[in-house]
Amino acid sequence: MRSSLQAVTLWGKKAPSHSITTIMITDDQQTIVTGSQEGQLCLWSLSPDLKISAKELLFGHSASVTCVARARDFSKQPYVVSAAENGEMCVWNVTNGQCVEKATLPYRHTAICYYHCSFRMTGEGWLLCCGEYQDILIIDAKTLVLVHTFTSSQSPDWINCMCIVHSMRIQEDSLLVVSVTGELKVWDLSSSINSIQEKQDVYEKESKFLDSLNCRTIRFCTYTERLLLVVFSRCWKVYDYCDFSLLRTEVSGSGQFFAGGEVLAAHRIIIWTEDGHSYIYQLLNSGLSKSIYPADGRVLKETIYPHLLCSTSVQENKLDQSLPCVMGYMNERKEPFYKVLFSGEVSGRITLWHIPDVPVSKFDGSPGEIPITTTWTLQDNFDKHHIMSQSIIDYFSGFKDGAGTVVVTSSEYVPGLDKLVCGCEDGNIFITQALSAAKAGLLEGGSLLKDSLPYKVLKGHHQSVISLLYPHGLSSKLDQSWLVSGDQDSCVIMWDIFTEEILHKFFLEAGPVTSLLMPPENFRLRSNQVVFCVCGDHSVALLHLEERRFLFCARKHLFPVKMIKWHPVEDFLIVGCADDSVYIWEIETGTLERHETGERARIILNCCDDSQFLKPESVLSVASETQKHKSVEQRPSSSYQFGPIPCPGLQVESSCKVADAKSFSGPFNVLPVKTKWSNIGFHILLFDLENLVELLLSTPVCDSDPPNSFYGSEILRRAKSTVEKKTLTLKRNKTACGSLSAEAQAKPVSEAPAQGDNSIVVLEEYDGIKRQKKMKSSKKTHPKPSRKFDANLIIDAAKLLLSCLLPWGVDKELDNLCIKHLNILKLQGPVSLGLASNEDHFSLMLPGWDLCNAEVKKDYSKVNLFSRKVLELSNKYTSTLPNQAGMPRGLENNCDATIIYLLRRLFLVNKLVNMPVDLAYGIDSSFKMDSVHNKVKSPGNDILHISSFYSYLRNGKNEPHLPEADVSLLKLISCWRDQSVQVTEAIQAVLLAEVQQHMKTLRKTAVNSEPGSVTENDNYQMMQMRPKMECTEELELQCITDSLSLQTSASLVKHDSDSNSANFQDTEDVPDRCVVKESESPGE
Amino acid sequence: MATAMAPTAVERAVLEEEFRWLLHDEVHAVLRQLQDILKEASLRFTLPGSGMEGPARQENFILGSSGTDQVKGVLTLQGDALSQADVNLKMPRNNQLLHFAFREDKQWKLQQIQDARNHVSQAIYLLNNRDESYQFRTGAEVLKLMDAVMLQLTRARNRLTTPATLTLPEIAASGLTRMFTPALPSDLLVNVYINLNKLCLTVYQLHTLQPNSTKNFRPAGGSVLHSPGAMFEWGSQRLEVSHVHKVESVIPWLNDALVFFTVSLQLCQQLKDKISVFSSYWSYRPF
Repeated sequence: MRSSLQAVTLWGKKAPSHSITTIMITDDQQTIVTGSQEGQLCLWSLSPDLKISAKELLFGHSASVTCVARARDFSKQPYVVSAAENGEMCVWNVTNGQCVEKATLPYRHTAICYYHCSFRMTGEGWLLCCGEYQDILIIDAKTLVLVHTFTSSQSPDWINCMCIVHSMRIQEDSLLVVSVTGELKVWDLSSSINSIQEKQDVYEKESKFLDSLNCRTIRFCTYTERLLLVVFSRCWKVYDYCDFSLLRTEVSGSGQFFAGGEVLAAHRIIIWTEDGHSYIYQLLNSGLSKSIYPADGRVLKETIYPHLLCSTSVQENKLDQSLPCVMGYMNERKEPFYKVLFSGEVSGRITLWHIPDVPVSKFDGSPGEIPITTTWTLQDNFDKHHIMSQSIIDYFSGFKDGAGTVVVTSSEYVPGLDKLVCGCEDGNIFITQALSAAKAGLLEGGSLLKDSLPYKVLKGHHQSVISLLYPHGLSSKLDQSWLVSGDQDSCVIMWDIFTEEILHKFFLEAGPVTSLLMPPENFRLRSNQVVFCVCGDHSVALLHLEERRFLFCARKHLFPVKMIKWHPVEDFLIVGCADDSVYIWEIETGTLERHETGERARIILNCCDDSQFLKPESVLSVASETQKHKSVEQRPSSSYQFGPIPCPGLQVESSCKVADAKSFSGPFNVLPVKTKWSNIGFHILLFDLENLVELLLSTPVCDSDPPNSFYGSEILRRAKSTVEKKTLTLKRNKTACGSLSAEAQAKPVSEAPAQGDNSIVVLEEYDGIKRQKKMKSSKKTHPKPSRKFDANLIIDAAKLLLSCLLPWGVDKELDNLCIKHLNILKLQGPVSLGLASNEDHFSLMLPGWDLCNAEVKKDYSKVNLFSRKVLELSNKYTSTLPNQAGMPRGLENNCDATIIYLLRRLFLVNKLVNMPVDLAYGIDSSFKMDSVHNKVKSPGNDILHISSFYSYLRNGKNEPHLPEADVSLLKLISCWRDQSVQVTEAIQAVLLAEVQQHMKTLRKTAVNSEPGSVTENDNYQMMQMRPKMECTEELELQCITDSLSLQTSASLVKHDSDSNSANFQDTEDVPDRCVVKESESPGE
Repeated sequence: MATAMAPTAVERAVLEEEFRWLLHDEVHAVLRQLQDILKEASLRFTLPGSGMEGPARQENFILGSSGTDQVKGVLTLQGDALSQADVNLKMPRNNQLLHFAFREDKQWKLQQIQDARNHVSQAIYLLNNRDESYQFRTGAEVLKLMDAVMLQLTRARNRLTTPATLTLPEIAASGLTRMFTPALPSDLLVNVYINLNKLCLTVYQLHTLQPNSTKNFRPAGGSVLHSPGAMFEWGSQRLEVSHVHKVESVIPWLNDALVFFTVSLQLCQQLKDKISVFSSYWSYRPF
């Protein structure tokens, strides 16, 4: 996934399923983090009054998430770590949803504890992990590299749970763990840091057999520094920490399983169960007991008797039966924070209980009840903010029977035709223009678009269409009109999408057709036109498209098909099943050639490792898990007939990764995403900023816009000349560029090999010859050259992107100007933007994210404003912007050129903010150097940096600015990066500032030539306002030029906008606001 | 074509009734069956706390190979640990007989057995949490449970069927070589592992490569069983495997366990398939 990628999500009405497997609250009590069985993480914002709202969904894991934990000192870096069933680990920044670090280790963790000892440890600390392996692993919190292990000398086994004990009394941190067999072990932590760093073996200090199984939690009472609470699934026990003598055992009732517990205060504990109940006990000292004798015959110890104080209530509808859930407790003694008990259910529901500081029982001594404080689900978010949860084909529902929306069960995007094909539950297949559909869903006035929107319906299936395939997309030799669809009822239909007729119908009688696959183009099968249908009864049917012929159905598989490969020479079909067995079919005759299991099967599947088409990693990870298995490293021996001939494979069950930069070639793409175990899917619109800019510059875009075609030719010439100029400067700077590009090459931004030279392309992308070369190379990998994209499509995509990024409603007039002069439409509501951290780590905003920030709340006039910070940043940016040169002259009235300009600016900002730290340091230091010594006499390296950076900058800008202005802007933006301003914030701020600047000049020209051609009578009112505006504007301008101080100008601008809104309130603002409120209210 | 038509209301009602039965009755029947099978499997592993208190019983296995009798071993298995080992090695050159045994105080954990056992108990734990009283509401819920159980069972099986692929230095560094009395001579390496239902013992005889040797030194990668000629560097020396002896013995209860795993995996898959028949219903209207 390229960093220049911008994403917008169209969620639809139904929330994706999120079966919570793990839950935590961050230390600042502002975010709840949940991990799901589907493999996503969800960030929920928690308001100071304990209201929950889902904020972001993080994609990155391809298997069930097993645990989440803090990964840093939270006050310094808001990072959490997540681990998945298949050994993947990710560190996420929870403020912006970015994946900071990732790794895949052959270990499955079930619990992670962050440990940092500031005065003895360098680096960011350790993640102490336990799970399906012996003992404790120590993983570096920053790099996610295995540092060392804590090993046990006595009966090493898997560890179930652990806790870090920090005892003030003895000034030593200890690690307490309980193994699956019920053995309690203690390791010294702080005093063994050195030995760990020197990789010496560290053995446990003590161990004791606890005589119970399935330990769920172990907790140390920090208040008394004496008691130890150990919760097993069938009982909980209290031990004396000093000598581990048992003080109390409490057995669970029938059918009840304990899940965890925590110490609330001295002698007060809370215990919770698997089904979401919890109980608060006061531990009473009952003096000496006759029943429990210490084993070693010392003096009798006192025992403890638990008194039930309170229990928490569960939800009404759960009374008959509670859903399994995971719970946690957060103890915060500091003031603004709460003591919170939280639970996450498999159904995706989060429940919070505010635990009073002193829980008391009722007057009559019976246990009190603590009510639920809040409960929330993802779906609640979707229901509340239904304006934002637009699905891409929502408008079809109107054409249907009128009741409810059509459920899309499968979809496929055809980039070459910009067509979105959606298979529906009722058996219909809709084909529509993706871009227009997205616009109709997102933008204001979309209802007008809806009526004119062309769409086709293919009727032929009687049951829900669950798989689609567009063969031409995979192999350009195939007919462009073909579409293959498979339904629930085992029927496969081959369509002509242009004439809408059925070319052929296949009845497979093998259960639902779950997926349709095709060998890639570069793979020469005897016949290239075979479609493989994976069916519900685990069979694979082969259909020949050209001949309209059913070849054969491979039916012997007992387990679901996971992988299909072909052996090109022998013409074999190799099917890998979920139970790791392999079936080899002869395609010619349709006979089962052989069936292998175990080691052999693995070797057969592995022999295609170096196929370029699809890496079978995630499939094989099941086989090659846990430590030291190191998969099967030996190459298949030559005696085996499937030698090293690379044969391509197809993964059947694609994980819901938002991945595959390879498949993404154009400036605009629609990615259908579906989560596991559900049919609910959603679509992501992907815009490639870089590619957009590139294409906009190369195509005569201006033709596409009738109202402005008058200026078209002139602009084109202008644009061309600037491009040429740039090439010149580029050449001049080429030598200087050397160091930068070298560094850029080394930077770890992961890019698909096809785009490997991306960062250099930034410097060269305007060089025509190079461009063509690049095109050629990309042609090799993508069947469709990006050239093919329609100019209209590109400019439309660019406009939609701007619409989605622009913070609407900040300034009413600005909105109108934008609508008018940029020819873009206003958003209906906030859009769900996405952020790509790297290839397959992705965070998507959820509907209602805009209300997560408390400050923005209930300000309905502002639509899509990412955060309050944006305004601040944008003001700063404006003040740094050179007043006069804000926009190249002559571009004012041409919307396309402006759009190009804006996009390039955004691309630059995106690049700058996303720049890897090491590279950024170089630039920063050169800045500093520059500011310290004005005459650069420092080592030549820095000069190179600066000059190369200028060229870098110029490529992103339309006009060679004065260097001072450039540097200050760049400084500002790199400053933002250091202040951890989010990319989206930065982009929005710059866009807002640039648009303001641009519109300012527009306003001026409009005034100068007031009766002129530019303004139409659409905004009659606006015209009248203009003189007034003009005054304030000039005032503002003067202020900015006069006072260089940031503060004053910023406040002035704010003041200015305030007065504006005051002025307009009578005329425009009020009715508009009403509309917004009206449409918002049903959700509440 | 009747099947191709959308189901009528009556058909729908029947299907829903059938699905309800599947969720409420059939699923629990299968789960119970699964539990029984896995209990049986876990008994084979002598899980602590599964009814068998006290130290696990000891079993002796005599390891041999059909071909030669150069290596003979008697290994004593106690649960997941090797408690005793006697290895007799007849040197091929001089027919000298070497004898090694475990030190009295030492035990060697067979991690493969331990992991398999733990995976089984994880699977049992997952199933125990959904006893008769638990009502499944959606098919997806059952699928998720089955996926989780199958994952554990697949891992349990894979632990037994795929021995760790170790490099020769890893074998040399492992604690196993240090457990014998008298100490193993420096030109011998020993490795013990489980392969499917067999307990395997491999003895590698080594000879040092002369520094001026014309042989092209290429260290061998990881493997379950290294072949003669494999080379590695250990300490400051370069060594080459000259002879490999592999002896094995079938552990009957491991065989049973593997059969149980396969059977329960199939049961799980069949249940999943049954649920999937109704997939067009459960995904849209959970009840």
